[in-house]
Amino acid sequence: MNFSIILLGKLFSKLITLFNLGGGATWPGHIALILNENFIKEILKNSETKIILVAGTNGKTTTSKIIQHILKSDNRTTLHNASGANLLNGIASTLILNSNFFGKIGKDFAVLEVDENTLPLALNQLTPDFLVLLNLFRDQLDRYGEVNTIAQNWKKAIEKLPKKTTLILNANDPVIAFLKGNGQTFYFGLDEKSNFSQVEDWADSVFCPKCNSKLVFTKVYFSHIGVYVCKNCEFKTPLPDLTTSYYPLLGVYNKYNTLAAVLTIKISGIDEKVIDKTLKSFGPAFGRQEKIKVNGKNIQIFLSKNPTGFNESLRTVKNARSVLFALNDRIPDGRDVSWIWDIDFESFSKNFRSIIVTGDRTYDIALRLKYASFKNVIAEKELKKSLALSIRKTNQNETLYILPTYSAMLEIRKLLTGKGIL
Amino acid sequence: MNYKLTIGWLYPELMSTYGDRGNIIVLKKRCEWRNIGVQVLNLNEGFKTEDLNKCDLLFMGGAQDRQQKIVSIDLRKKAKMLSSLIEQGVPGLYICGAYQFLGKYYKEADGTTIKGLGMFDLYTENPGENIERLIGNVVVDSKFGRLIGFENHGGRTYLGENVKPLGKVLKGYGNNGEDKTEGAIYKNSFGSYFHGPILPKNPKLADHLIRLALEKKYGSPIKLSPIENSIEDKARKTIAKRLNINL
Repeated sequence: MNFSIILLGKLFSKLITLFNLGGGATWPGHIALILNENFIKEILKNSETKIILVAGTNGKTTTSKIIQHILKSDNRTTLHNASGANLLNGIASTLILNSNFFGKIGKDFAVLEVDENTLPLALNQLTPDFLVLLNLFRDQLDRYGEVNTIAQNWKKAIEKLPKKTTLILNANDPVIAFLKGNGQTFYFGLDEKSNFSQVEDWADSVFCPKCNSKLVFTKVYFSHIGVYVCKNCEFKTPLPDLTTSYYPLLGVYNKYNTLAAVLTIKISGIDEKVIDKTLKSFGPAFGRQEKIKVNGKNIQIFLSKNPTGFNESLRTVKNARSVLFALNDRIPDGRDVSWIWDIDFESFSKNFRSIIVTGDRTYDIALRLKYASFKNVIAEKELKKSLALSIRKTNQNETLYILPTYSAMLEIRKLLTGKGIL
Repeated sequence: MNYKLTIGWLYPELMSTYGDRGNIIVLKKRCEWRNIGVQVLNLNEGFKTEDLNKCDLLFMGGAQDRQQKIVSIDLRKKAKMLSSLIEQGVPGLYICGAYQFLGKYYKEADGTTIKGLGMFDLYTENPGENIERLIGNVVVDSKFGRLIGFENHGGRTYLGENVKPLGKVLKGYGNNGEDKTEGAIYKNSFGSYFHGPILPKNPKLADHLIRLALEKKYGSPIKLSPIENSIEDKARKTIAKRLNINL
């Protein structure tokens, strides 16, 4: 059965690529799962490939990419699912493309990123050797539901995992640190001066996941990520096993992605000397602080798809002179754009010389900026025109910073590089 | 005359999930742009009941279930005062979870019934976890023009005789997806399922709330100076065009 599925899937994928139909990363798996809903389970059952599963609202792609980069530098063979293919059908497709016709995978490691809602389903199909959990923030409430609901579903699924699964958890996110499996658990977290002393009033997880009392934060690195204690039940930040590293990317959130990746690598038995050396040669995942040069001008793209991500991007580019915000409301972005009112524009400097806004919801983001007292905002609905205008308004020695939602990021990259998604 | 308003924001720490704090930003700015002195009083868990008395305008947003439980315990202690303010006509805007909570009861997906504060003549029932949530862009006809927003709720709300709907549904679901009503008006209090948030793209409703609050406080009719709304109009048109609706 699986032999024919793989044959069909590989053939299908070739046809998709050949005729440039798009969706080659998900369709073969989609069909495989219709034909055999236990396809993933059966393929992985007898495999010796170590599975690293990465989940969280922000940072999945970057963390997976760092892990993979280090593994490859240590001459380990890996497979991974392409960004945007992080549902079960994407995982199944990845397995089809990376196995031989008899379903044998023959790679040392599978680095798989999974969507928040998919994690419990994925854990029914496969048992990871390492489960890396980054954070949970509000994101696309219309699609994912509320943070607490996701946290509950994760908790139930993780409690059922066998001893063989090692958990790698963010000590600074209360709902993540609260999770318990049956195997070993390691924590990563920061131990440095914090940006804030208080959580912002809209942060997601400021209550004790154990007893619902309000947590007391002594350090806040961003949103609800920090050092906390519950005065009622004594639940508190676990002592991290890793607090520092060389950081190849800007931004506090990328420190967490790096720590998560490095801790995973260390536990999986890779020589420590390899790590520092290879981190220095790491380049960002597409659209995540990716630098592109157009007409001699520097452009950097900061995918910003939810309030926490957007705030952290703004903090990272705070000295920018020229910015472009691109807000779409398609399915990968979330249909609801209410979240832009949770971005803390009010706290950021108004020093931008050129602010241009674009996307399906150009005027929603323009309106948000009006109420945050930003002046001289140019609204240009046409993405292509907005991009050309932004580049024109950026001086030779400056960088144009683009903060797009997911689908806007894909479009912008396509326009800038002419290369499409990868 | 130098007008001043105090806006009471009920549970900003707990009831602020869907960008609803945008409503506070809008009320505050539209006062400031008109030189109306404005102060926002954050009424968090454990606030002093007397603080409610200082407020000329109230706002409360939606939340996650866990947060809602904490709020329901705290707000029950202050229900008498809140109820008397609502009866006296102190204007307020109550969104989603707050709107449901001001009704008679909320029946959860698993059948558990949570008693509401009973200030609005309405009740809410969640038909079960396997029934689809009501999610999407929504447009209703109202006294304040066509209101545009985004809804995302599992509970279905049914109105009693002592409240009027805020609007009639043109696109989307509204209170329950059946009777074409959306939201509720009782005296000067407004309940609604609209996120988006509701006020930025519906400036007429925002100004109506500000005017009600000023008139209630100063006891005479007040005319607000106009504010330029061209970005608002374009943002509204984007959605209207997509949904094939005239504004």
